[in-house]
Amino acid sequence: MAIFLQLLFTGLGIGAIYALVALGFVLLIRAASVVNFAQGQFAMVGAYILVVGVNVLELPYLLSMAIAVVLMAVFGIVFAATTYWPLRHRGGLPVIISTIGASIFLENIVLFLYGPSPEVLPGLFDSPGIQIGEVFMDSQYLSILVAATLLVVLQYLIFEKTLLGKKLQATSQDKEMASLLGIPVAFMILFTFAYSAMLGGIAGMLVAPVLFVSVGMGGLIALKAFAANIIGGYGSIPGAILGGLSLGVAETLGASYISVPYKDAFAFAMLLMFLMVRPQGLFGEKISEKA
Amino acid sequence: MSLLEITNLTARYASAAGDVLKGINVSVEEGEIVTLLGANGAGKSTTLRSISGLVPFTSGTITLNGQSLLGQGVEAIARLGVSHVPEGRRVFPGLTVTENIMLGASNRKGVSRAEMMREVDEKFDLVPDLIRLKDALGWTLSGGQLQMVAVARGLMAKPRVLLLDEPSLGLAPLIVQQVFKIVAEIRKRGTTVLLVEQNANVALSVADRGYVLETGRVLVSGKPKDLWNDPQVRAAYLGGHAIA
Ligand SMILES: Nc1ncnc2c1ncn2[C@@H]1O[C@H](COP(=O)(O)OP(=O)(O)O)[C@@H](O)[C@H]1O
Ligand SMILES: [Mg+2]
Repeated sequence: MAIFLQLLFTGLGIGAIYALVALGFVLLIRAASVVNFAQGQFAMVGAYILVVGVNVLELPYLLSMAIAVVLMAVFGIVFAATTYWPLRHRGGLPVIISTIGASIFLENIVLFLYGPSPEVLPGLFDSPGIQIGEVFMDSQYLSILVAATLLVVLQYLIFEKTLLGKKLQATSQDKEMASLLGIPVAFMILFTFAYSAMLGGIAGMLVAPVLFVSVGMGGLIALKAFAANIIGGYGSIPGAILGGLSLGVAETLGASYISVPYKDAFAFAMLLMFLMVRPQGLFGEKISEKA
Repeated sequence: MSLLEITNLTARYASAAGDVLKGINVSVEEGEIVTLLGANGAGKSTTLRSISGLVPFTSGTITLNGQSLLGQGVEAIARLGVSHVPEGRRVFPGLTVTENIMLGASNRKGVSRAEMMREVDEKFDLVPDLIRLKDALGWTLSGGQLQMVAVARGLMAKPRVLLLDEPSLGLAPLIVQQVFKIVAEIRKRGTTVLLVEQNANVALSVADRGYVLETGRVLVSGKPKDLWNDPQVRAAYLGGHAIA
């Protein structure tokens, strides 16, 4: 039981990372109908910005994070302006291809600027963690869980409690109608890109101390986030969160109880199972919110 | 000068060859209800879409209070006071009735949330049927309810002119009557309305003037009574008998 709880804690921590990336992914699908294949690279870029702040410039950790978050928002807008905006009237496929291109570009530009050797980033806190009962709570996993919870609450407040949030929802449900009401649709879409890049970047920064920071780190995270999305229900916000968490727990339990080398396979086995048995996912659209 | 003046308007869709509108002239005076009638495909919706900027027009002019709408974006036109309630109602399915109506004020700057909620309550006075639905999500509503929400939302813009596209479409006769009672009430309260309808009966019963469109042209225009009594019009579009 102690081991199980320990694994559950770790699994939720890694699952929270998948959930954050998946959330950014879903928001773009909903707001701009963009399937962003560079969502994982957002995490990679965020992690590298933090590496520069902490390891290179030796700025305080939290200050580096704050700067990185702001830079990620700017990055999201630049990304939208170059990858999405020129193609926005051309339908889904050209934008998908464009985001795939962007993901390759981002990996190579970081490779060019930083080289191929992975970086090690210290954790947010010096203390290794705390023991609660039989579970040792690693400080970085704890940070991930706290930060992810705060972000989800923040997002809920923005989307459900503010007028801006209602306008964002309106834009995601019917852009033409939103624009007829005088809602600045372009601004809403750019805001979503900025926010989504920020979420991806924060996920990368949080997970960086747990993994190595490497050019390729985004790819696998993105695949897991995509799987989380299908498991939770394509395009569903609570689905992204729950899908991410359950994926993290499943692969951690699987790795430990069944086989470590097949850790990543559990995620995809789970994905295939959902596609076969419950393709609409946990929160499958009972209703068509994109009517 | 009319409030809304459309002269020699031609428009086409990028995806299709040929003009859909072939030189339309329509004017709407302050405080009037003007109706555009005509068969399916005549160009009624396209006319409204040109006014609100959804279809860029190829030639002609549209002015609101003397100001040209040419080349203005959809959102800018909304800010000038054109409120378009499009075909199909387009109520946001994942937002509540209150939220949908509230967002109608998005074209106006600096309206506080409290002010907005007060105005939403005014709309509930106009359409009391909506009060008990105020927290219902858009996708749960019936056609008639959706139409009422769409109209209430359109009014939140404090429009100089309200463009209403086929409010009666797909509604039972009793519901159509309710919707048009609201349209009449809107006019009484001073809002100018450009009403597109295939249901000539109800449209002419509330309108001050009407235009009949046929394949992108204005066939005839005039007072409701004159339109009713034009044999050509009656045969082709109004489907039946003159009113006594
Ligand atoms: N999005 C579009 N693309 C191409 N053609 C269109 C489009 N919408 C309407 N049309 C065509 O324009 C003509 C006028 O349509 P519309 O204005 O919707 O007519 P109405 O509202 O009077 O029924 C029709 O022949 C229709 O087929
Ligand atoms: Mg029409």
